[in-house]
Amino acid sequence: MFIKGLITTGTIFLLFSFIRIWVLQDRLPEYLPQPFYQIPTNPINNDTVQLGRLLFYDNILSVNNTVSCASCHSPFNAFAHTDHDLSHGVFDSIGTRNAPGLFNLAWQEEFMWDGAIHHIEAQALAPLHDQREMGSSINDLIEKLQKSDFYKVEFLKVYKDSIINSSRALKALAAFELSLVSFDSKYDKMRGGRASFTAQEKAGYVLFKNHCSRCHKEPLFSSNTYEDNGLPIDSLLNDMGREVVSGRKEDRYKFNVPTLRNLSFTYPYMHDGRFKKLRQVLDHYGTIDNQVLMRNSGIKAPIFLSLDDGADLVSFLLTLNDKSFVFNPDNAFPKKLLPKTKDK
Amino acid sequence: MKKTSPALCFVFLLFSNLCYGQNRIGFFLFKDSVISTPIRLSSDDSLSVLRFYISDLQITKNKKVLWKDSVRHRLIDFEKGSFNQKSARILFPLNVLGDHVSFLLGVGEKTAARGIGEGDLDPIKGMYWTWQSGYINFKMEGVSSNSPSRKNKFLLHLGGYKKTLNTNQKVSLSISNPEINISFDLNKFLYEINFKERHTIMSPCQEAVDLSLLAKACFYVH
Repeated sequence: MFIKGLITTGTIFLLFSFIRIWVLQDRLPEYLPQPFYQIPTNPINNDTVQLGRLLFYDNILSVNNTVSCASCHSPFNAFAHTDHDLSHGVFDSIGTRNAPGLFNLAWQEEFMWDGAIHHIEAQALAPLHDQREMGSSINDLIEKLQKSDFYKVEFLKVYKDSIINSSRALKALAAFELSLVSFDSKYDKMRGGRASFTAQEKAGYVLFKNHCSRCHKEPLFSSNTYEDNGLPIDSLLNDMGREVVSGRKEDRYKFNVPTLRNLSFTYPYMHDGRFKKLRQVLDHYGTIDNQVLMRNSGIKAPIFLSLDDGADLVSFLLTLNDKSFVFNPDNAFPKKLLPKTKDK
Repeated sequence: MKKTSPALCFVFLLFSNLCYGQNRIGFFLFKDSVISTPIRLSSDDSLSVLRFYISDLQITKNKKVLWKDSVRHRLIDFEKGSFNQKSARILFPLNVLGDHVSFLLGVGEKTAARGIGEGDLDPIKGMYWTWQSGYINFKMEGVSSNSPSRKNKFLLHLGGYKKTLNTNQKVSLSISNPEINISFDLNKFLYEINFKERHTIMSPCQEAVDLSLLAKACFYVH
């Protein structure tokens, strides 16, 4: 009744406050910016999140029922895809980009490495229709869900009627993804006065502020922008990046600046997953050649770090890991999807 | 496309004068109301898909709104001869006599920027890009002997809502009769397109904006 009252008053501010409190279970740090996601178009509650969680982990989304969202976005990897530089899909297809981690998405304005998707509710359409990912279509998915006795019950629980349509399915998926919130790292505890950095972490934090924070802005450690970080071009992939979406030549080889949170879980790194180790990433920034720097790169000069400085910086970056998020059982594979057996 | 048969050159959007109680019922159909698949334009050329959104349909007089469509977004769909009367049927009061009828060709910037819609905005209607976000406002597909693409196909998916690549176009037509017949001059639209050079548009771009402006200019009242 309380929620109903809020909605009828149409007070967006109150709704926002409610959702924020719900999403973060009273753990939302006060230093966060306002999220981009417009909550009033998709009121989120625990039922929609749980329906979205079922869909997220269900292979029913792919054309041959073999691939789910979680196939490339594993909870144990902060919903990224460890050990695969490029994500793979149905019939052993290989994609062209690395699967990024999924968390704090309400604070992300656009999605995908090139920002092709402008709204989280529309994001699932991309992998669903991509022949190298799920190879299906929203039409086929909705038909399968409508025929499923399991989902008839699950949708009824959430929406109190039997209608299963794409809007509901996509919004439920978005609700689950929006609930993946990660602000309980050592960095967050330090900001909240609940932990202290070691001397090495402090030194790394200073290096980070001097060399990395222009693009990886605190507290999200991203900037919702697109940059050319000076990577040599992979001639086989020949990925033009943001230019494909914007049509502007100046956006060539630019990709979304990813967050640095949960780095230990989201390797390999870069849009094409070419680096397996953080040390390789640092080496890249220290050795960018002048020819690449002339390429409208966001990096104006190589970032030389001594071995000691590199170790300090990595030490700081590790404070951005949030184990309570990564190992949160509420985000894990739902037991409801386990095949029914006669075993007891 | 420089050669089209005049016999099937027009898509008619008719507000018919059939009366249902106090309302007049209108609907969209082809000139002869019999649609075959594909729509034969000439011996070599044909249309297989023609779909577009109209939004915020209204009748005004001296810029004052007299009547506004209760449904904000409507998908007009001629694909495969499946004339969708249900989605295209529009009711408006008999006593409305305005000087202009207007609508947006497209879903509008705000709707495009929002998330996933229902009804005619449902992505299963095939009017939502999956590789990037946003609605396709106007979709036309077919075959032209002038098109050098595979099987002489042409695919015109006109979308985009951001700043300079906005393909939403406001259409405002002067009216002088309570019986409003709105037509889309398909012949004019196809005649202006050089399929040798642009047969495939699948993303927001300047060409899509140019064609959306051309589409806007092809609506007329008679």
